[in-house]
Amino acid sequence: MSKLWLVALHEYHRHVFTRRFVFGLLSVPLVIILLVGLFFLIISMENNTTPIGYVDHSGLLSDPLPAPTPTAPDRPVPMIPFANESDARAALNAGRIQAYYVLPTDYRTSGSLRVVHIDQLKSSASQQFYAFLGANLLKRQDPAVAARLVKGADITVQSADGSRSFSSSDWFSFVFPVIAGIGFIIAMFTAGGYLMQAVVEEKENRTMEVIITSVSSDQFMAGKIVGDTCVGLTQIAAWLLLIIVPILVGRSSVPFLQTFRLSSQTLAVLACTMLPSFVLVAALMAAIGATVTEAREGQQMTGLISLPIWIPYMLIGLLMSSPNSSLSLALSLIPLTAPVAMLVRDSLTILPAWQIALSTAIQILCVLAAIWLAGRAFRLGMLRYGKRLSWRELFARPVSHRKKLVE
Amino acid sequence: MPIVELSHIDKSFGPVKAVEDVSFSLEKGELFGLLGPNGAGKTTSLRVMLDIFKPDAGSVSVLGGAMTESKKDRIGYMPEERGLYQDIPLERCLAYLGALKGMRPVDVKRRAETYLERFDLAAYKNKKVKELSKGMQQKAQVIATLLHQPELLIVDEPFSGLDPVNTQMVKDLLVEQHEQGVTIILCSHQMHQVEELCQRIVLIDHGKVMLYGGLDDIRRQFSGNAVLVRTPAELPGLPGVERIEPVNGAVKLHLLQGTDPQSILQSLVARHLPVEQFEVAMPTLDEIFIRVVQGPPQGQDTSQERIA
Repeated sequence: MSKLWLVALHEYHRHVFTRRFVFGLLSVPLVIILLVGLFFLIISMENNTTPIGYVDHSGLLSDPLPAPTPTAPDRPVPMIPFANESDARAALNAGRIQAYYVLPTDYRTSGSLRVVHIDQLKSSASQQFYAFLGANLLKRQDPAVAARLVKGADITVQSADGSRSFSSSDWFSFVFPVIAGIGFIIAMFTAGGYLMQAVVEEKENRTMEVIITSVSSDQFMAGKIVGDTCVGLTQIAAWLLLIIVPILVGRSSVPFLQTFRLSSQTLAVLACTMLPSFVLVAALMAAIGATVTEAREGQQMTGLISLPIWIPYMLIGLLMSSPNSSLSLALSLIPLTAPVAMLVRDSLTILPAWQIALSTAIQILCVLAAIWLAGRAFRLGMLRYGKRLSWRELFARPVSHRKKLVE
Repeated sequence: MPIVELSHIDKSFGPVKAVEDVSFSLEKGELFGLLGPNGAGKTTSLRVMLDIFKPDAGSVSVLGGAMTESKKDRIGYMPEERGLYQDIPLERCLAYLGALKGMRPVDVKRRAETYLERFDLAAYKNKKVKELSKGMQQKAQVIATLLHQPELLIVDEPFSGLDPVNTQMVKDLLVEQHEQGVTIILCSHQMHQVEELCQRIVLIDHGKVMLYGGLDDIRRQFSGNAVLVRTPAELPGLPGVERIEPVNGAVKLHLLQGTDPQSILQSLVARHLPVEQFEVAMPTLDEIFIRVVQGPPQGQDTSQERIA
């Protein structure tokens, strides 16, 4: 087996089969589950099931149909009729109802109504009352037509060539790449962090000197980058599994999952932009690891890499409003900002093939440059104990080369 | 043909000249001592030899030519700054380092087990390296260096951190390797160990070669004009003796210039004194080291001394 693969395998083994890695692997889905749970908990706590009263002068609700059952996590709010406003007011003051609506005689024609409340009425409660009104406004219609009207329009926007379409019920297909981008970034920095830490540790515990008398610095660095990239990809694969399995299982009962699909172009964009970024970040982290003297110093320097990656998320409003602007295009071509910018734009617009190709080509060139830089930083910095390698030294010409030029 | 040859090596780090015009060579099967005080340039010379550093000038030949990746598998190097992966079990660490030297997993396992038994580390093979004592880690480092049966063994301060029992164990191992034909470079400033093990040495100080050659020749060169005499009788005043110095139950007679040891022996015999020991007094390597490193006595040549 080539020494490159031995190094890669060793690197993979020493990071993946550890409690720290398993904890990191499970922590992200656990945090997502926790956040989703928290979201539902807050909604359910916001649910006020105290009845809503109404005083109907229009006669619309004289013999009303029951209010439609709200979708989870909203809970049904009972609707109580009052003969007059003073009774309703008394019930409101007594806390038996959370609010009451007054429907004037001309409600059917004007559509205007009045609501009286003491505390701010929650939107889920008011929506349930409007659904109750809607059901009764349509009670003389055919039930299927009524149901269709209540549901509202579901518009699907389709590209001129028919290759892409997007509907309002398909929002998760838009959100998924954005979430996947975050997952990729986390995995990228986890793997890059392992790599940087490993290089710094090997310098700190002097293993480096033993290693480089067994394997070339280029093979060693390439093996490390391959191994740690695989660590990150393992993390992503595990997360995808943890996300896709629940999607497949919960598809039948969760409406927004039924329409979820990923286009082949999105998958291509993910692969073309995220994978080179993965290697790019790993190589840059390795270069940092080779230049610094201790892990803490390296962690401080990783901000230089992580900041550009998050910029597209900071500018997501601009990307969403103008996905084809010059700024959006620039962000799609600049290394490190490209992966997220491309993913977000891909969910909103048709990306020309040349843009995907150009962005990928630029990233691959940067990857090669970063690997070269990492190898050079490693060669120059590997035996510097307690002294940081300066950027000037990193880019300076070697003495022998200078001598050759003079000769 | 020398198995290792360094020829006029220069290496600087910024304004600091680490080694300057360093040359030495060693033949196959030699046990060669590389000596020098701390910061003299010994480790830099080794790193240049191992192609870790490129020399600014000069040339290096190892195992019959320039260093290549495949040659790395034929060399065992134990640096002064010990380095093993701390967070993995000892056996796995040795397996990895052995594999990087081109060994098959089955061979690594077999040889590691033999050495672990020999160094009393078999019970600790599943322990993480960081859980081992300093001495145990030192022994583990020795195992990692020898695991792949190198042709050229370079050991930098192999006895530091070892108790006398383990020092003897490592020493025996070096002798055993030497007897098996392995070429060994022993880098140390423990002079008595070098004196005991090596046939030839090079002494580097301030980046320059100060002494180079056979150990006996060097000692003879530094012997000065003195003889060591062991006798149970009281020594009378002898002609040609400048002063008498007691040394470990014997006496060292410092002779006047122009007096040769033979005339002293004749004087002793002529006086019918019982002589148990008579030899030309050779300085220890320690004494030579101190004299070279601290500077020669007045009037002695300061240029580097080479003894072929």
